[in-house]
Amino acid sequence: MSGFRDRTAIAGVGYTPFSANSGVSTLSLAVDAVLAALDDAGLTVDDVDALATHRVGDSTPPWVVAPALGVPEVTWYLDQFGGGSVSHAVLGQAAMAVASGVARTVVCYRAINARSEFRMGGTGRGPAPVFDAQYQAPYGHLAPPQQFAMAARAHMNAYGTTAEQLGAIAVTQRGNAVKNPRARKRDPITLDDYLASRWIAEPLRLLDCCLETDGACAVVITSADRAHDLRHDPVLISGAAWGGGDTFLSGAGSGPAGTDLTVTEAARLAPRLYAAAGVGPDDIDVAELYDCFTYSVLVQLEDYGFCAKGEGGPFAASGAIGPGGTLPVNTHGGFLSEGYVHGINHVAEAVAQLRGTAGDRQVAGACVALSTAQPGYVLAGTSALILRSDR
Amino acid sequence: MSLSERPRPEPDRDSAPWWEAVRRHELIVQRCDGCAALRFPARSVCNRCRSRNWTWVPASGTGRVYSWIITHQVFLKGLADEVPFLVLLVRLDDGDDLLMYGGLVGAGADVLRPGLPVEAVFTDVPGEDGTTLVQWKPRDLVS
Ligand SMILES: [Zn+2]
Repeated sequence: MSGFRDRTAIAGVGYTPFSANSGVSTLSLAVDAVLAALDDAGLTVDDVDALATHRVGDSTPPWVVAPALGVPEVTWYLDQFGGGSVSHAVLGQAAMAVASGVARTVVCYRAINARSEFRMGGTGRGPAPVFDAQYQAPYGHLAPPQQFAMAARAHMNAYGTTAEQLGAIAVTQRGNAVKNPRARKRDPITLDDYLASRWIAEPLRLLDCCLETDGACAVVITSADRAHDLRHDPVLISGAAWGGGDTFLSGAGSGPAGTDLTVTEAARLAPRLYAAAGVGPDDIDVAELYDCFTYSVLVQLEDYGFCAKGEGGPFAASGAIGPGGTLPVNTHGGFLSEGYVHGINHVAEAVAQLRGTAGDRQVAGACVALSTAQPGYVLAGTSALILRSDR
Repeated sequence: MSLSERPRPEPDRDSAPWWEAVRRHELIVQRCDGCAALRFPARSVCNRCRSRNWTWVPASGTGRVYSWIITHQVFLKGLADEVPFLVLLVRLDDGDDLLMYGGLVGAGADVLRPGLPVEAVFTDVPGEDGTTLVQWKPRDLVS
């Protein structure tokens, strides 16, 4: 099932600055990121015929951004409801739109004031409706750190996963961020710093949590053929997969993974993704794994097949995920240290790695990258891309 | 009392009978009329046999601790004087895929371990008209 393998490409990426208070609207952030991505691709607004985003009532939709930019004619758009779990589904669908001929140049963006306006989990403005919420919120259990802490504890209970193993992820990613001028946190940390950081929701500490960030990021998707005529070497979208169906409680009765917090939707998606791209875990040179919390990296190391179920902790602590390891992970520092822009900045970093333009943090010879969305906690489903350099 | 500052239960059309039972200090689950599978949370269709018919039946009220967290961060101002507080996730003895959340009463976090037997108890939220929550008590402490 090769689908649209290698028929589309990412031709440009653009950012706004990442901060704790952008001082501007999400419309403004979106416009800036879209224009920056077009500029990077050597394209203009007149070349755009499609826009795509996702949001949970916290951002500006394509049907506002397109007229704000003066896009001549929108032939396709996507305004998907959802948080991090759909972040890569947006790009997959954009690639599908291009491969089908419905759209020629799609700009995907995500623009949020996740620190100064809308804080995830409804602790700022009102929460998004989630099936499980009515059984959790009355106990004061509603914020993402709490939900992921519950899963992390279940993993510890089942497999003996330790704080030091989660800490290895935080320390490794901070080390990567030191080499990333865009990162919000660039001071190195040690495992002792990690262990001394305050509890947020046990077993998660402050340094297990990502940086709520104001900012935007965008990528341009067009056909592989056309991308060859543009400014940069194309980064091909080799595989895309999205899907799912269960939230934790709604999964009750649907099968063994339905109420097992230690298995995510990524375990079901991964075989489809690898088949779509025609590669396997051993072919991945660099992995940008959704890291709202350290634990989500750990569980994805298992569910994307880089190690056995239950071995995510030892794998993370082995050095394998660091620079020079067998699977460099979150080379930009991830949401933990670069900033949380909800998924798309992982794709942008993967593009830099595959273009060979990642500077001090470049993974030598990186040809195939995995970039993933929230693996399926809280809201149903997940999504991911496999990208390939075409140099 | 900050318990009254917590988010209120927001029942939907499927779960309203469950919340009403909790107010009466009863723990119930759905039993599918088609395949007899027990079901929680409340939904209007069985995801095994797809029957649209069900009967509410009493649950045993006992279960085992699956996971837990201790929240230190004040995510809601109304909970500022409650932190740190515990939330448990309990797997009911009635079925492996029946799970419920709740606080821990009658003991501290030091007793917690995976598989700890617990029993449902009910807490009427002070000052709130008809708001009752399910909580969990280690079973050997239930009198
Ligand atoms: Zn049934």
